[in-house]
Amino acid sequence: MQNLSISFLGKDGPGIVATVSSGLRDNNCNIIQLTQSILGAEFAAIFIVQAPDALSIPELQASLEKLLEKDRHDISVLIRTASSGSFSESVACEPYVVTTDGPDGPGLIAAMARVFSRHNINIDNIKAVLGHGGENHALFVLEVQVPLTVDIGRLRRELHSVGKELGLNTSVQHRDIFEAMHRITDF
Amino acid sequence: MLSEREVISTLDMVRNEHLDVRTVTLGITLFDCVSHDLDLFIGNVRAKIEKYAHNLVSICDEIGDKYGIPVVNKRISVSPIATVAAPFGPKDMVRICQALDEAAFKANVDFIGGYSALVEKGFARGDMALIESIPEALATTQRVCSSINVASSRAGVNMDAVALMGRQIVATAAATADKGGFGCTKLVVFANIPQDVPFMAGAYLGVGEPDVVINVGVSGPGVVKKAIDRALEKARETGKKLDLRGVAEVIKTTAYKVTRVGEMIGNEVAGRLNIPFGVADLSLAPTPAVGDSVGEIFQSCGLEAMGTPGSTAVLAMLNDAVKKGGAFASSSVGGLSGAFIPVSEDSSIEAAATSGFLSMEKLEAMTSVCSVGLDMIAIPGDTPASTISGLIADEMAIGMINHKTTAVRLIPVPGKGVGDKVHFGGLLGEATIIPVPKGDASGFISLGGRIPAPIHSLKN
Repeated sequence: MQNLSISFLGKDGPGIVATVSSGLRDNNCNIIQLTQSILGAEFAAIFIVQAPDALSIPELQASLEKLLEKDRHDISVLIRTASSGSFSESVACEPYVVTTDGPDGPGLIAAMARVFSRHNINIDNIKAVLGHGGENHALFVLEVQVPLTVDIGRLRRELHSVGKELGLNTSVQHRDIFEAMHRITDF
Repeated sequence: MLSEREVISTLDMVRNEHLDVRTVTLGITLFDCVSHDLDLFIGNVRAKIEKYAHNLVSICDEIGDKYGIPVVNKRISVSPIATVAAPFGPKDMVRICQALDEAAFKANVDFIGGYSALVEKGFARGDMALIESIPEALATTQRVCSSINVASSRAGVNMDAVALMGRQIVATAAATADKGGFGCTKLVVFANIPQDVPFMAGAYLGVGEPDVVINVGVSGPGVVKKAIDRALEKARETGKKLDLRGVAEVIKTTAYKVTRVGEMIGNEVAGRLNIPFGVADLSLAPTPAVGDSVGEIFQSCGLEAMGTPGSTAVLAMLNDAVKKGGAFASSSVGGLSGAFIPVSEDSSIEAAATSGFLSMEKLEAMTSVCSVGLDMIAIPGDTPASTISGLIADEMAIGMINHKTTAVRLIPVPGKGVGDKVHFGGLLGEATIIPVPKGDASGFISLGGRIPAPIHSLKN
């Protein structure tokens, strides 16, 4: 068996998951992980599947595209051999939540992301909340994996200074505090 | 993945609602420092405090930074000095108090508590020496807090101690007359003092406690007030009525969140210092900052000001809901755990007292349903010691009969009378002097002896 990662991107609408998953079943692919998201009118999904060794990537791609077209879904398909070993598994990390909020404008995420990149910090998830705190106000919530070797104080200072230039407030908090406050965990 | 609401709600609490950990208090036992030689004793005490407290502040700041929740105060509590320094006289006690003060400065903590005596059933030699030394000890130090337990539900009220403390409060005010009787802000008289309070001025480390321990005081009156306001706003928008059961639920869930923060940070500080975590004290402790007030919660609940009829009922509900939420959030609840109503330290309560909504009598009534007691109340400088003792006796009786902690921290401000203002600064705030109830209590106080402990059956 081989692990393949398949991404789907295109116009959202009912029936996409049904078409895609039926196509995978017909090709004897077993879904082992998947995530799906909708942004505006766009549908995006990544599937990681176990596929028979005999199944080639172009063959699977053609089969899925054909099915999507038949069911009238405007969706592009990209298939690659799945990578193994996530970043946080290969580097010892602590999960932090960085928020930045202030007037919306181009370049906010780029500025923050450059700081993360410099420190080898991986972004797990970014979310934008527009309109929080006023009109044309944006709040970005970034869940990041910070390697243990990173000096949190220094990271905070760098983010503050980058944020300040753009008129943003930034905060850096360990993820556990959010879980502790808002969730009742079971064991 | 965290939800938007989880992130935004935490951000708002920290940025706009004064969510913080009010105090991380390092308890240090001093029994192993005991000596018949004063210098040796003081040397031992200094060394032990230094050993455990030298990195307390930096570790608290580091952990506060990690979670983005400030640890506002770092403090130390020690074994009752009257017991560990029992062989010494009042002059030596003053020196010990000064050594504690220096140790507090060195560790960079804002207060050290435990200049204390437990005398509910009678005085030992060290107790008398310590109580006698209080005016000079508190006048010549800045960071030492003193607490004297004069009553308990098991022992009754030691009225000799009540009489003595009335006089010592007047003497302490006189010894710090140039600063508005400031010494009295660091002196509390207790009934049923808990052994593990992290909050000042009542913090000391009881004899049943570990060698060293971390106790945490969580706070958050501003968070509770804003949560009630938001729930009311939502009720107005949606047309669904929010009744008091709903308000109590909001307080309870908010107290849960606040307590989780305190417990988490306390555990981590304890882990980093490699000493055990003791308790989270779930108290709503206000500061003079606007938006960090217990009094404002009363206004959110529809009362014109604290002291308005209905205030005792609101306080009872508030205090109980805080405990319920906190008890679910932490299995290590202790200390005082309730709502504080320190007059000068809460701008809204202070305003209610100044404008006449809140009298000494109403404050006393409210202390029967909350922690702690008559707290940080400025009274006229010419109040007789016997009147102060009478107020203490009443408050102690409430604690004794109701099996709860009560306390008295009154400041007779030398040379000032009703309506005058006194400014203590910082967290201690400012207060307008309010009148004390009329009448002469001296005959009663001079009777002395002990009010016997109450019967524990036949409740009503």
